[in-house]
Amino acid sequence: MVKETKIITKNWSQIDPNEIDDAIEAGGYRALEKFIHKMTPALALEEIKLSGLCGRGGAGFPTGIKLESVQKEKGKEKYFICNLDESEPGAYKDRSIVDSDPHMLLEGIIIESLIVGARKAFIYVNGNYQKQIEILQRAVEQARAKNFIGEQILGSKYNLEVEIFAGAGAYICGEETALINSIEGNRGEPKARPPFPTQCGLFGKPTAVNNAETVANIPWIISNGGKKFATIGSKKSAGTKLFIVNGCVKNPGVFEAPLGTKLADLIEKYAGGMQNGKNFWFAQVGGSSGRLVLENDLVRKLEYDREAKIPLGSGAILVVDKTADIHELLLSWMSFFRRESCGKCVPCREGTYRLWEIAKRLQDGEISERDVAAIKDILWTLNNTTFCPLGKFAATAFGDALSNFQKEIYRLSK
Amino acid sequence: MTVEKILLEFDAELKNLLPVLKKINAEFGYVGEEEAQKVADYFSLPLSKVYETASFYDLINTKRQPPLMIQVCSGANCAVKSAYKIISEIENQLHIKAGDDFNPNVKLEIISCLGQCGRGPIMIINKKIFTQVTPSSAREFLHNYM
Ligand SMILES: Cc1cc2nc3c(=O)[nH]c(=O)nc-3n(C[C@H](O)[C@H](O)[C@H](O)COP(=O)(O)O)c2cc1C
Ligand code: SF4
Ligand code: FES
Repeated sequence: MVKETKIITKNWSQIDPNEIDDAIEAGGYRALEKFIHKMTPALALEEIKLSGLCGRGGAGFPTGIKLESVQKEKGKEKYFICNLDESEPGAYKDRSIVDSDPHMLLEGIIIESLIVGARKAFIYVNGNYQKQIEILQRAVEQARAKNFIGEQILGSKYNLEVEIFAGAGAYICGEETALINSIEGNRGEPKARPPFPTQCGLFGKPTAVNNAETVANIPWIISNGGKKFATIGSKKSAGTKLFIVNGCVKNPGVFEAPLGTKLADLIEKYAGGMQNGKNFWFAQVGGSSGRLVLENDLVRKLEYDREAKIPLGSGAILVVDKTADIHELLLSWMSFFRRESCGKCVPCREGTYRLWEIAKRLQDGEISERDVAAIKDILWTLNNTTFCPLGKFAATAFGDALSNFQKEIYRLSK
Repeated sequence: MTVEKILLEFDAELKNLLPVLKKINAEFGYVGEEEAQKVADYFSLPLSKVYETASFYDLINTKRQPPLMIQVCSGANCAVKSAYKIISEIENQLHIKAGDDFNPNVKLEIISCLGQCGRGPIMIINKKIFTQVTPSSAREFLHNYM
């Protein structure tokens, strides 16, 4: 069996998510008390920097550095945003956090907000997560009743309001500047940067945006210290990660494992191995924007590392055996990106549309020489000229599939 | 509930624009021009600005929806579990094409992952979610709505 390291999932299925007293009994809000009575924002920030925690939303940016830049900003009006948009296909880890331990998340939000000096925090929740929105609303009310939120929190000088903002169905709104646009009542299109949200974010004020899983690590770090956190995981990348393993495996689901765990172990030891005794064909790591991993790379460690051959992204892993139809997958990826391209820039708006059309022709076996040439151009354009990373995401899996499965895709006989 | 009543629940701050539009959509099924104009007046915005925002989001309709809405997830997880076979089955059965607006009575829409991948393929008929759908079970479910 796997040796378990549990930070985020430690209370899962032990407590009732609708009862704050359950959470408190399990150790909840003790980190907040410690922060308020024994620490300063500067000291708490130091712990987070020591921990080596980096963002779990995809890019892996060091959390301590982000919080520090917002903390340093003068001005009284600042915001903290917890990113729970989670619209990456195959990802439902942030939703699982809310389902199982919403107070751990809320405690993290409160602490991070107070560290950066925000008096208002938003939780931006995927608009399809109706049940989770209700759980969070209840959690916020209960926390307010205990004075963990509100005026003069636990008798201190800190004030904080937490507001839940429901999205309206747009993948791009997970991108932080698009998310900010969306709260401001605009179309959810990304904004140019600089200025970065840490200086000029929501309503033009300094804003820290963190993924929900990142936030859920904070109470543990404050309680146990950054140094201890840094000993978990791999050398390059500290802590645990929620991996979501889906597709042709026996037990699909969300698993917490130390960073640095090998892909092969995740499939075998956590997800129960391949389904129906079939053989592994390939995996896609990091959701629809992720790279394809073949058998010889199964031994690679999954971690946040700028040089990694397999970027971890949000941690969603799709496992595929030979029963899958590669043409249907190409179509699935492209119809996703065509729909979700926000339309702000031409290369992505047109490129995803053309690739989607080509994917349909590939499926129907009606591909022309012109298409084959166009694919190359479009992939290059998506990779190099789009306004935000979504364009690049759209080219990743398609490009990987073409270089690895050319024979199958073009239906060549050899 | 009337548009006016919905508006009164919210302050005229920009951060309330999207929540207001969602609430109107939930109440009326879509945000038509008449409703959008009332929103524009309330927020002191041009009508075009309200439409600009409303038309961007999947969960807000700017047109009346047909009485039968069928949605099938084509996320990669559902795709490896035969979602496309379900889509073809429905297209053939109802003589419609996914994404087309031509039929005023029924629409088939391909949607993105709902995070229910472990229980896929997923089909939604008029907001009711069906899991582990097969082409033949899809046909059966549809019969109950015809
Ligand atoms: C197209 C796109 C979609 C994204 N979707 C999400 C998302 O659903 N959830 C999320 O936390 N971050 C998402 N991100 C990353 C955010 O922009 C941002 O980096 C993140 O929320 C920062 O939090 P972290 O540092 O804790 O990871 C997305 C980025 C891009 C480019
Ligand atoms: S790359 Fe795509 S999603 Fe990003 S701004 Fe351009 S059109 Fe919008
Ligand atoms: S891919 Fe269909 S629910 Fe996730």
